[in-house]
Amino acid sequence: MGFEGAYDDMMNQGGVTDTRTTLDPKSSLEHHTVDPSHAQNPSYYAPPSGSEPASWTSYNLDQHSDPRSVPQASAGTVSSSGATNIEYANYATYPNNDPYGYGNTNYSGYYSSYQQQPNQPYPQQQPSQTYGQPAGAYQSTGAPHQPISSFQNAGSYAGPTSYSTTYYNPGDYQTSGGYPSANYNNTQANSWNQGSYANYGHQYPNYTAESNGAYNAQSAPATSVQYQQDYKQWADYYSQTEVTCAPGTENVASTSTSNLAAPPVLASGYSAPNSQQLSASTAPSSWRPESGLSELPSVQPSAPVNNVHEGYWKQGGQGFQNYTVSSTQSNFQKPLDLNPISGSFQNQQKPEVPQQPYVPYATSHQVAQTYHLSLPPPPPPPPPQTAAPPFDSARVSNVQIPTNPRISSNLSASLPKNSNASVGVTKPAYIGVSLPKTNDNASSHAAADSSLKPGMLPKSLRGYVERALARCKDDRQMSACQDILKEVITKASTDGTLSTRDWDTEPLFPLPNVDLINDSTTPSSLIKNRRSPIRRTKSRWEPLPEEKPVEKQLCYTPSNVKHGGPIYNNERDKQVSTARPENKENKFSNLKFYLGNQKETNKAGLRPAKRQHVGDGRIGLNDGDSSSDSDKEQSLTAYYAGAIALADSPEERKRRESRSKRFERNHGSRSAPNLTKTKSVGGGNLYTRRASASVLANSNSLDDGAASRAVEDIDWDSLTVKGTCQEIEKRYLRLTSAPDPATVRPEEVLERALVFVQDSPKNYLYKCDQLKSIRQDLTVQRIHNELTVKVYETHARLAIEVGDLSEYNQCQSQLQTLYAEGIKGQHMEFAAYNLLCVILHSNNNRDLLSAMSRLSVEARKDVGVKHALAVRAAVTSGNYVLFFKLYKDAPNLNTCLMDLYVEKMRYAAVKCMTRSYRPTLPVSYVAQVLGFQSTDEKNTSGLEECTEWLKAHGACLATDSSGEMMLDAKASMASLFMPEPDDAVAHGDASLAVNDFLTRSLS
Amino acid sequence: MASYMSMGEAHRRITDYLNRFVDVISYQDGTSLKHLLSLSSESPSFLALADALNLFQDANRLIKQADKYSQYAEIVAPLFRAMQSYRVGHLVESYQAFEKSANAFIQEFRNWESAWALEALYVVVYEIRILAEKADRELASNGKTPEKLKAAGSFLMKVFGVLAGKGPKRVGALYVTCQLFKVYFKLGTVHLCRSVIRSIETARIFDFEEFPVRDKVTYMYYTGRLEVLNENFPAADHKLSYALKHCDPQSEANIRMILKYLVPVKLSIGILPKKALLEKYTLVEYSDIVLAMKRGDLRLLRHALEEHEDRFLRSGVYLVLEKLELQVYQRLVKKIYIIQKQKDPSKAHQIKLEMIVKALKWLEMEMDLDEVECIMSILIYKNLVKGYFAHKSKVAVLSKQDPFPKLNGKPINS
Repeated sequence: MGFEGAYDDMMNQGGVTDTRTTLDPKSSLEHHTVDPSHAQNPSYYAPPSGSEPASWTSYNLDQHSDPRSVPQASAGTVSSSGATNIEYANYATYPNNDPYGYGNTNYSGYYSSYQQQPNQPYPQQQPSQTYGQPAGAYQSTGAPHQPISSFQNAGSYAGPTSYSTTYYNPGDYQTSGGYPSANYNNTQANSWNQGSYANYGHQYPNYTAESNGAYNAQSAPATSVQYQQDYKQWADYYSQTEVTCAPGTENVASTSTSNLAAPPVLASGYSAPNSQQLSASTAPSSWRPESGLSELPSVQPSAPVNNVHEGYWKQGGQGFQNYTVSSTQSNFQKPLDLNPISGSFQNQQKPEVPQQPYVPYATSHQVAQTYHLSLPPPPPPPPPQTAAPPFDSARVSNVQIPTNPRISSNLSASLPKNSNASVGVTKPAYIGVSLPKTNDNASSHAAADSSLKPGMLPKSLRGYVERALARCKDDRQMSACQDILKEVITKASTDGTLSTRDWDTEPLFPLPNVDLINDSTTPSSLIKNRRSPIRRTKSRWEPLPEEKPVEKQLCYTPSNVKHGGPIYNNERDKQVSTARPENKENKFSNLKFYLGNQKETNKAGLRPAKRQHVGDGRIGLNDGDSSSDSDKEQSLTAYYAGAIALADSPEERKRRESRSKRFERNHGSRSAPNLTKTKSVGGGNLYTRRASASVLANSNSLDDGAASRAVEDIDWDSLTVKGTCQEIEKRYLRLTSAPDPATVRPEEVLERALVFVQDSPKNYLYKCDQLKSIRQDLTVQRIHNELTVKVYETHARLAIEVGDLSEYNQCQSQLQTLYAEGIKGQHMEFAAYNLLCVILHSNNNRDLLSAMSRLSVEARKDVGVKHALAVRAAVTSGNYVLFFKLYKDAPNLNTCLMDLYVEKMRYAAVKCMTRSYRPTLPVSYVAQVLGFQSTDEKNTSGLEECTEWLKAHGACLATDSSGEMMLDAKASMASLFMPEPDDAVAHGDASLAVNDFLTRSLS
Repeated sequence: MASYMSMGEAHRRITDYLNRFVDVISYQDGTSLKHLLSLSSESPSFLALADALNLFQDANRLIKQADKYSQYAEIVAPLFRAMQSYRVGHLVESYQAFEKSANAFIQEFRNWESAWALEALYVVVYEIRILAEKADRELASNGKTPEKLKAAGSFLMKVFGVLAGKGPKRVGALYVTCQLFKVYFKLGTVHLCRSVIRSIETARIFDFEEFPVRDKVTYMYYTGRLEVLNENFPAADHKLSYALKHCDPQSEANIRMILKYLVPVKLSIGILPKKALLEKYTLVEYSDIVLAMKRGDLRLLRHALEEHEDRFLRSGVYLVLEKLELQVYQRLVKKIYIIQKQKDPSKAHQIKLEMIVKALKWLEMEMDLDEVECIMSILIYKNLVKGYFAHKSKVAVLSKQDPFPKLNGKPINS
C-alpha cells in the first residue's frame, strides 16, 4: 500500500490521467492474462473508448513499440537478412516516431496515425509478420510460456494490425495457458505486460520453441530486446525530439524526480528490492519521460521487480499472475508508483544521470545477458562480485546492446555479440533465433561499441547538435549542418575532446533550441519531466502540444509499457551494476528461474544455445566486474557517440541528404526516411540508422515549419543574382545552393574574363574550366545576349579543336536556342558544325533531314555550310576522294570535326579499293587520295604514315620492281581489319580521358 | 443558321440531343452514336446544337435534371462545352473540353463488354486528333507553344491501351495506331511509333489480316515510310506495295501518298515507273529523276534534286534519291560501254578513265581523274559494275559477262 501511496504521489504529480492509464494497462494486462483473446481483441480494437480502451490503446502503443522491438528482435535473429533487419529497424523507428508524434496528439490518434502511415508500417509489418510467423510457430510450441509473450506479440503485431491478428490468436491463447502454467512465465508475462510485450512475444516465440526454460532465458533476452526496442523507441523519441537530449532529459528527469519520489517509494514497498526497484524505477523514469505516463513504467518495473523480487513482489512473476487474476491493476499501480520512485532511486543511486537512460537500456540488455550468464551458473548463485562482473559484462553488452537496439535486431544481435565478445558461447541461446546474423551483428556492434565508447556524447553536445540543427531553415541547410556536425563530433571523438569540450559554449552553432534544452534539462517533477520530453517531441513534431496532453498520456502509457520492458531490464542491470547483494539475489533467483527454464529448453533441444548463453552471460559478468556506474555512463556516451559517429559516416550522410530531401515538406514522410535508412543500412548500422533517423526526425521537425515553406516558396526571379565579384579568373564549381552574388561576376567582368581565357596560353582543361564558370555566371544572372553567344561559341570551338564532343554538344544545343532567340552570332558556322556533327557522328537520317531542311537559302550559300553539305554528300556516297579534298580545304573548324571521321572514311576507302583495284595500287596514290599528307613538302612522310596506317589495318604491302610500295589489293581484301583504337577508353569516349586531353592540349 | 433561335427551341434541341444520346447508348447503336460525337463534321444539326447551347447557357442543369442524362454527364457536359467553344472558334478550350469528354467516354467504353461502340470511339479518336491540330494552330498563332497534339498523342496511347488487350475490341487497335502514327509523324517524334508497332506486330493474339482494310493500308503506309527513313528498302517496298495493293483505287490522293514513297524505293532497287503512272498521280517531281536514270544523266539528276530539294527533304526521300546517283553513273558507264562495243567489240570491256571524265564533261560535271577513279571504284565495290580497275593504266576492265548487273529489286550492296 505504501506503494499505492507512492503511486498516489506519482499520480498527483503525473495527474489523474496517468493513474488511469496505469490502471488501464493493468487491467488490460489482467484481461490479457485472464482472457487473452478478449484482451487482445480490445487492445487491438478497443483503443478508442473507456479505461480499458485506454489500456488497450496503451497496449497498442506497446504493441507499436513492440513491433519495433519485435522487428529488432527479429532483426537480430534474422540479422542475416539485412533487408528484413533494415525494415525492422525502420519499422521500429517509424513506430517510435509515429508514437511520439501521435502520442503527443492522441492515444487513439496514435494508433490511427500508425495505421495512417500504412506504407511505413506495412513494410515494417511485413518483416515483423515474417518474424511473427516464426514467432507464432514458436509460440505454438511453447504455448504456455509464450502466451504472455504472445500477448505481447499480439500487441506488437496489433500495431501492424495484420500481425496483431495472427499473433494475437496464438499469443492470447498461449498467454492464457502460459500464465497458469508457470510463474516465471507469468512473471515474464507481467514484464511483458509492463513493457515490451511484443518484444517478449517475439523472443518468446523463439524461446517457446525451445522450451519453458528457454523461454525464461529468452525472456531475459527478450526483455533485452524489448529494451533495445525501447531504446530504439527512446532513441526515436529522443531523436524525434532531440536525439541527444532525449536520453539526457530522461536521465535528468528521472534523477530529479526520482530523487524526490524515489525515497518514498523505496520506503513504501521495495525496501528489500530497492536496488532492483531502483533500477526498475530508473527504467520507468526513463520510460516515463518518453511515455510520460508513470503508470506504464511502473508496471514494467513491477514486472521486473516481481521477477527479481519474486518473494517480495510475487506480483512480479507468479504473483503477477495471481494479481492479474485478482487485482492486477492495483499491483500494477503499485509497481508503477514504485517504479517511478525507483527510477528516482536509480537516479539517486547512480549519479550519472545522463548515463542512466542509456544505462538502463544497456542494463536491460545486459540484464538479459546477465540472466543468461546467471543461468549458466544458476544453481550456485554467483557471489555478488561475480554478479557484478556479469553486470559489467552486461554493461559491455549494453554498449553493444545500444547498437543492437538501433539495429532493431537487438536481441539476437546484442546477445550474440555479448556472448561472442565475452564467452563466445552465448550464441546458441539466442542463436536459436538468429545466430549467424547475430554474429555479424555482434562484430559490427562490437566495433560500434568500441567506436562509441571513445566518443561519449555529453548531454551538452547533444544540445549543441540540436541547436545547430534548429537553426536550419531548410533541408539543405539541415543536411549541411548535419555534415558539419558529424565532422565536428567525429573530430572531437577522435581527439578525445568530445566529453571534455564545453559544447554549450561551442561557437559554431550559436542558436540553441531553448525549448528542447529546457525540456531536457529541466527536472521539475518526475512526471512533468517525463511528460516534458514528450511534450517537446510533440511540440517539435506538432504545432499543438497542449491539445494532446491526454492523448499524450495515453501514448505515454503505451510507451511506458514498452519502456517498462526495457526498464525492467534496466532495473536489473542497474541492480547488477550496483552489485547490491539483494539485487543480486533477486537476480540470481531470476537467474535460477531462467536456468531452470534453460535447462528445460535444453532438454527441448536448444540446450547448446542456452548453455552458451549462460556461459556468455558469465563471461560478460566477469568482464563487467570492474565496470561501475561511470562505466555505464561511458558506455552510454560511447553508445551515443558511436551512433553519432555512425551518423557521420559518408553513407549516412548521403542517406540523410536524400532523406531530408524527401522529407522536405511532409511530416508524414518522416517514416519514409527511416525506411530508406534501414533499407540502406546493413544490420550493423543500426546505430547509424537510429542516429540518422533521429537526426532526420529532428531536421524534419525543425524543417516542418518555416524551412519547408521556404523551400516551396522559392522565387526564382529573386534568385537571379547580380554578381559583384571582380575576379577575372574563377574556377568552375557546380552549384549546390543558391549562388552567392559575391562570387558571381557581373557582365563586364565576364567579358574581360572571356578575353582573358581566349588569350590564355594554358591548356584546354584550364580554359574549359574557366569557360564553364563564365557560363555558370551567365546562367545564374540569366544573361542572354551576344556575350552569352560569344562565350558558348568560344567554348564550342575550343571543344571542337580538342575533340571534346560532349562539351561541344552542350554548347551547340545552347547556341541553337540562343540563335533561335534571334541573338546574333556565327550562326552559319555553327550550322555547318551541326550538320557535320549529325552527318559524321550521329548518322541519323531523320536528324540529318531535319537539319538540312532547316537550312535557309542564305545558309546554303555560306561557305561553311556548303562545305558541310558537300562533306555530307561525300560521306553518303562514300566518295573518299571528295571527302579528303574537302578535308584539305575545310573552312573554320570543319576540319576538326571531320578529323573524327577520317579513320572511318579511310578504312571504308581502303576496303573499297582492295575490292575494285587489281592487281596492285601504289601506296603513294592511296596516301594522296586518303589525305596522308604531312605538312612538309613532298609526301614522303605522308607516304610513311600511310604505310604505317595500312599495315596497322592489315593491308598487304609489297614493293614492286621499281621499288615503289604497292598495296596488294586482292591479298588485302581478306586481311583488312579495323584495329582497336589505341586510345580506347573503358567508357567509350577517348576524348574524356584526362591524359589524352592534357597531351593534346599541351602539344 | 437562322439568326434567331428561341429559348424554347434551344431547349428543345438540347433535350433532343440528350435523348438521342441516351437512347443510342441504350440501343448500343454505334453508328448513330458516332454521329453524335463527330464534332468537327460541322453538320447543320451540330451547328444548330452549338448555337442552342450558346443561347441556353445552362445545359448542365438540363443534364442534371434527369437521371438518364446525368449518368452520362461526364461525357456530355464537357462535350457541350467543346461544342460551344468550337462554335465560337475557341479551339484550345474546345480541345480541352473534348479531351475531358473523351476521357469519360473511354471510361464508359471500357465497361461495355462488346465492341459496339468502336465506331464511336473511332470518331472520338479522330476528333481529338483533328481538334488538337486545330488547337495547336491556334496556339501557334498566338505565339504559344503548341502542345495539344502531344497531349492528344498521350491520350491516344491511353485509348490504345484500352483496345490492345484480348477480345473483340482489339480490332480497333489498328485504327488508333494509325491515328497515333499521324500524330507522331506530324510531331516529328516517329521514334515513339516503335512501341506501338511492336505491340501490333509481336502480339499474335490477333491476325493482322483481320484488321479492317483501311487500317491495314494506313498502317502499312506509315510503317513503310518508317522503313524508308531507315533505308530498309526491301521492307519499305513490301509495306508500301501492300498498301498500294489494298488501297481503294478510288482514293487517288491516298495512292499518290503511297506512291510518293514507293517510287523512290522502287527506284533505289532499280525499278523505274512508267511515265503514265507519274503523270496520273501527278508525281512529276520524279519524272526528271527517272529520266536521268534512264539516260545516265548525272546533271539532270542533280538538277532535279536541287529543284525539289525542299519537297524531298520534307517527305524524307531526299537521301534515298540522292543515292540514285550511283545508278546514274552505272548507266553512264554502260552507255560508254555500249558505244565502245559498237565501235570495237574487242576492246569494249576496257573503259578508259578519260572517257568517263570526258563524258562527264559533256554533262558539265567537272571532275578530276581521282574523283572519277573513286567513283568507278565505288561502282565496282557496290557491284554495279563487274570488273576491276587497273590503276596503272587508268582503265576499268569490265567483266565480259554481264558487266552491269541489274539490281532486279535488290538494294545496292552497301
